[in-house]
Amino acid sequence: AAITFNLGRRNRRKDWFSLIYSSSLTPRQVLETNPSAEAREVEDDLDDGDFFQLRSAATTVDDTDKTKEDLDPEDLKQWSDEELLDSIRHLFITGDSGGDHD
Amino acid sequence: MAQTGSVVTYTGHLYLRQRLVLAILSGKAIRVEKIRSDDASPGLTEYEISLLRLIEKITNGSVIEISVTGTAFMLKPGTIVGGSVVHDCPLMRSVGYFLEPVIMLAPFAKKPFHLNLRGVTTDDNDLSVDLIRTVTLPHLQLFGISDGLELQIKKRGAQPNGGGEVHFLCPVVRQAKTLNFIDPGKIKRIRGISHAVRVSPQFSNRMIDSARSVLNRYIPDVYLYSDVYKGEESGKSPGYALSLVAESTTTAMHCSEAVSKPGETPEDVALGAAHALLAEIRRGGCVDRKHQSLVLLMMVLGSEDVGRCRMGEPSPRTVQFLRDVRDFFGTTFKVVPADSDGVPNSHLIFSCYGTGYINVNRTIT
Repeated sequence: AAITFNLGRRNRRKDWFSLIYSSSLTPRQVLETNPSAEAREVEDDLDDGDFFQLRSAATTVDDTDKTKEDLDPEDLKQWSDEELLDSIRHLFITGDSGGDHD
Repeated sequence: MAQTGSVVTYTGHLYLRQRLVLAILSGKAIRVEKIRSDDASPGLTEYEISLLRLIEKITNGSVIEISVTGTAFMLKPGTIVGGSVVHDCPLMRSVGYFLEPVIMLAPFAKKPFHLNLRGVTTDDNDLSVDLIRTVTLPHLQLFGISDGLELQIKKRGAQPNGGGEVHFLCPVVRQAKTLNFIDPGKIKRIRGISHAVRVSPQFSNRMIDSARSVLNRYIPDVYLYSDVYKGEESGKSPGYALSLVAESTTTAMHCSEAVSKPGETPEDVALGAAHALLAEIRRGGCVDRKHQSLVLLMMVLGSEDVGRCRMGEPSPRTVQFLRDVRDFFGTTFKVVPADSDGVPNSHLIFSCYGTGYINVNRTIT
């Protein structure tokens, strides 16, 4: 009951501690999951009941042990948007505090 | 610290480097199985074997057993010795691949490190030597590792033929300091290094101009340095790259980098780097995303006190790193959202109780 209460109170937030330490999700899944749907979906996947299982997509993505993440051209393209450019102005000393006091 | 008899076992080749580092620091043996066993070219790759050889060179008493097929190996770690070591890195990976784990080990060696690495100095996969020099090493200073910490870039080497050479110097410490870093501050300056080898030096200036066109709108203090290497010093292959670092009022750092690819103009490369830097700044936190594991590791090794650090969302590597840390050291981090100041954001505060790791290898002077 205490757990459900916690989840309800901050519904839009992940419980990082249990996602990291007590779930069997791969690191990438940990970052992609929604707080609400997470555990259930995984169980559904396992219960498909097919005798043959497709090899999971995770092994087909480029899985070299590397530190830098690939720059996604789509992600970078969004930075030509003026609004987005202005939205991080408050993170610089030259910008105004952007509503949050500091 | 040494717990002989216990072997930590993993499957797959992923996250190999951080696991080797944790094994050596904790003194626990590590066994990795099923390395690319379903792959067309199974087993350890050339660069992974080279990394194991490097570990053999910088430690004393390590036992490495690789199975006949190369799909499994076992490492019984010895003590970290350090001293003067020369290593030729395979050209498939940059020297960053080898330097990153060494940086995690070097402060806890017996003798100060004088490591000479030869190979590719900048590539797409790992931190380039510029980023290691300007970002990784300052991150170590947060933990009291600073005097004599240096990376000298003697020669640059672009892919595919390399020909670069770097010299890494690292002092030894008794213990890492506890970190308490919660205030990310605001970005006060941006620095960058642009280099072009075996191509017109003008490329370097073109990168600087177009990166400035993006970054100057935020802040006037943008200084991008064009690093020129000539003749022998510029390696064997043509290439160019731009690395950027943003520093905040509380010395939090964020970095990005882009490397030339066939068919890309210097302007494309520079815009890629600049936009990636903005994305990194937007993620925020006190620690750069590519350095989360390094900082978390030093927090685990810190003195027996609670260390805290504010970070943006962890990268997949970091999530796995947290799990691996628990396997080797039994330390778990407390992870709580960091919006106590009333502003909702995606920042998290990582805190842990340091293990009080003491460098027993260090020669007493």
